[in-house]
Amino acid sequence: MSINRIILRSLKKNFRNYYLYVFALIFTVSLYFAFVTLQYDPEMDPAKGSVKGAAAFRAASVLLIVIVGVFLLYANHIFIKRRSKEIGLFQLIGMTKGNVFHLLCIENFILYFLSLFAGIFIGFAGSKFLTMILFKLTGVRAVADLTFSQEAFRQTLAVFGAVFLLIMAMEYWFIKRLSILSLFTAASAVEGKRMSLLQLVIGILGAALILLGYYVSSKLFSGEFATIDELFKAMIFILASVIFGTYLFYKGTVSFLFYLYRKTKGGYLTIREVMSLSSIMFRMKSNALSLTIITTASALAVGLLSLSYISYYSTEKSAGQYVAADFALTDRKDAEQFKKALDRKHIPYEETVTQVMMVKANIKPILKGKLDQLNFDPKSTPLPVISEKDADFGDLSPDEAYLSGYHDALKKFMPLKTSGPLTLKGKSAEIRQNYLGLKKEFLVSYYFTNGGMPVVIVDEKVFERLAEDMDPKIQKEGTVHIGIHIKDEALTDEANRLFLAEEFAKPAFSKFEMIKNNKRTYGLSMFIVGFLGLTFLITSGCILYFKQMGECEDEKGIYTVLRKLGFTPEDLLGGIRRKQLFNFGIPLLLGISHGYFAVRSGWFFFGTELWTPMLLVMGLYSALYSIFGFLSVQYYRREIQKAL
Amino acid sequence: MYILEAKKIYKSYGNKFNRQEVLKGLDIQVRKGEFLSIMGPSGSGKTTLLNVLSSIDRANGGTITIGGRDIVGMKEKELAEFRKRHLGFIFQEYHLLDTLTVKENILLPLTITKTPKREAEERFRELAAELGIFELRDKYPNEISGGEKQRTSAARAFIHNPSVIFADEPTGALDSKSASDLLNKLQELNRKRNATIVMVTHDPVAASFSERVIFIKDGQIYTQLVKGNETRQSFLKDIMKTQGVLGGVQYEH
Repeated sequence: MSINRIILRSLKKNFRNYYLYVFALIFTVSLYFAFVTLQYDPEMDPAKGSVKGAAAFRAASVLLIVIVGVFLLYANHIFIKRRSKEIGLFQLIGMTKGNVFHLLCIENFILYFLSLFAGIFIGFAGSKFLTMILFKLTGVRAVADLTFSQEAFRQTLAVFGAVFLLIMAMEYWFIKRLSILSLFTAASAVEGKRMSLLQLVIGILGAALILLGYYVSSKLFSGEFATIDELFKAMIFILASVIFGTYLFYKGTVSFLFYLYRKTKGGYLTIREVMSLSSIMFRMKSNALSLTIITTASALAVGLLSLSYISYYSTEKSAGQYVAADFALTDRKDAEQFKKALDRKHIPYEETVTQVMMVKANIKPILKGKLDQLNFDPKSTPLPVISEKDADFGDLSPDEAYLSGYHDALKKFMPLKTSGPLTLKGKSAEIRQNYLGLKKEFLVSYYFTNGGMPVVIVDEKVFERLAEDMDPKIQKEGTVHIGIHIKDEALTDEANRLFLAEEFAKPAFSKFEMIKNNKRTYGLSMFIVGFLGLTFLITSGCILYFKQMGECEDEKGIYTVLRKLGFTPEDLLGGIRRKQLFNFGIPLLLGISHGYFAVRSGWFFFGTELWTPMLLVMGLYSALYSIFGFLSVQYYRREIQKAL
Repeated sequence: MYILEAKKIYKSYGNKFNRQEVLKGLDIQVRKGEFLSIMGPSGSGKTTLLNVLSSIDRANGGTITIGGRDIVGMKEKELAEFRKRHLGFIFQEYHLLDTLTVKENILLPLTITKTPKREAEERFRELAAELGIFELRDKYPNEISGGEKQRTSAARAFIHNPSVIFADEPTGALDSKSASDLLNKLQELNRKRNATIVMVTHDPVAASFSERVIFIKDGQIYTQLVKGNETRQSFLKDIMKTQGVLGGVQYEH
């Protein structure tokens, strides 16, 4: 048999074994190529919007190749380890290490570059589709067409070529290090060991560290850590504690919990428990590092995806918080002008006029938490004040006041009490009010609220008194908030066009422009994060699958024995399913849980809605991730069928 | 009444053009409670015979009935079911599961029959005490000796009171002391529990512990020896003599 025949044979065999690797390679290449194509496409400029967008694209493409590179190196390391025996055999029949390396090189080269070109082709075909998604997300109206980018092609080739060289260097180093003898010694089989006290300590410590990290994360923005420095330290602490805790969790906690469960069984284990518990108990320990990385990657992906989807999902609602109507104007003349324009086009609308004045207020008595770190004076902070007749909270007595429309992020930093004294300071007199509570409605635009502070609603008489005693220095240019609400949804686009065509003397805002701008920014970031998340997902899913292939290889002997004893493949598969539920489920659940706590600690900076977008992201992630679990069960099924 | 009865078993490997006949029309009957050995030179087909009798491998022709049930016509699933309930196995390489303790290994066959936990515990206690491995119950296979492993494997074969126990070279990997220990235990269990044992071996000493020895050569029965009222020593001499005539590998003991 000539060397070429050997190469061809092992290629054929490898393709069958590593189809998922080939698939992952093709997929990541096409992802990368499509991504880089978008990066170089001049048509993308409206979607990228700004220099920042282009920079984000660039940074993401670097991150993408780092993830893919690490994944490919790791996967190849797993494969070459598994082929140790084969390599030893080649050496035994008289091939030098150089020859073996040469053979591996050619084999890998063919597999790798075929996949690379396949990936580029698919990426090219898919880039139109991706462009359409990006346009859709960012709300850009343009037609996507198919162009083959030379630059993207060159960059993809260069980058993946470099990764190939790295892989080959790793394999060379691996072969060089090994002697024939060590190549022949079987991969260490998993053997039972009794629990030691140390394991118990590690187990408890792991769980405790994770919980501690979660606890600190829930306190992160509650005012306990007020300076940036403290905040930064707390974040580092959370990261370290959770990641290290995760490592110990795999190292000890899992086997410890399983051990406790097993103990209660008193030696009476069913075949399912044999196949799942006993194997995971000893294996998870040796996979602790890679599982920790996978969990962290999942947490990162789930967290980032959730946050960016939260901001995208909340664009309309947060625009509603910033602009308290479809259109908000701050001058009566401007409003007349716009209304005339609307009338000309027969667009029906509703108008709400709210008198707004800025008044310095002492809110210190109703603030909760530490106050010494605030970057403004809570004893005298300007707040917009409106009269009870412009709000729907019922009749107020002259010493009563409501607050309304407090931004979620500020609410976290400076939580308010439910009641207390509140002093409004005019130019000369001070009026003491009884604060009755915080309402949810956003009644005036962010132009007045300094980006999120609440509005004070007072009794009509109090409002009049304050108006006489107004401090002109802190007043805004406009003193009235005119909200225009378009009655017919279908005409909003038209109205917005009219709004943009007009020239206004004083500040004026359109909710639709706000939504459009936000969609552009958040759509782009969601697109990029989605790309990265998908890569994380696929690479970590593949690595788990490859690990399971190896595990299956090691356990083949057991399947043969059990089948001889009379267990049917279905009996064994029942156990395997449960085992995979743990093998894939534990990293997934832990990753999602980490992601959840990360999101929970700071989601309010990103949007107004937590649960729907987060659960959607988590559900989708879990579903895609489970595919790898199912594939691995299929792999086991084949091997178990063959075992007897 | 025979517990195991095989008639005209044929077994061949390979394809149309290159066929290797391993078993050529063998007949075997085993009585209930009998301890039978199957001997023969390397390549005579004794392990194949055991595999076919124990339904791990399928015969190409002939009938095999165990406890009155024909196993040749059974489907794969039925066979597996039959194996787990009615047959016990002892292998040369022990084949214990490394991730299970001694006790968990032994109790494995009982979990299928849904034996109540209390009864399982009782059976385990009794059998493990008889085999002298009760003290080892919480150890893992890599912590005990070869002899202990094989006794564990024997306990696993006996625990569910199977109709027939098949042993494939059970002493093959053991030193002579552990081997005779194990064989004494097997003999004891055979007598006490009236368990039927079919053992393949190439070791005349091992065979001398049984009541009857069948010699096969080139896929057919060559002859058989019955111990009857002989002592083990003289039975051993007979076995070795027959083996010499058979022309297999000679052993000196």
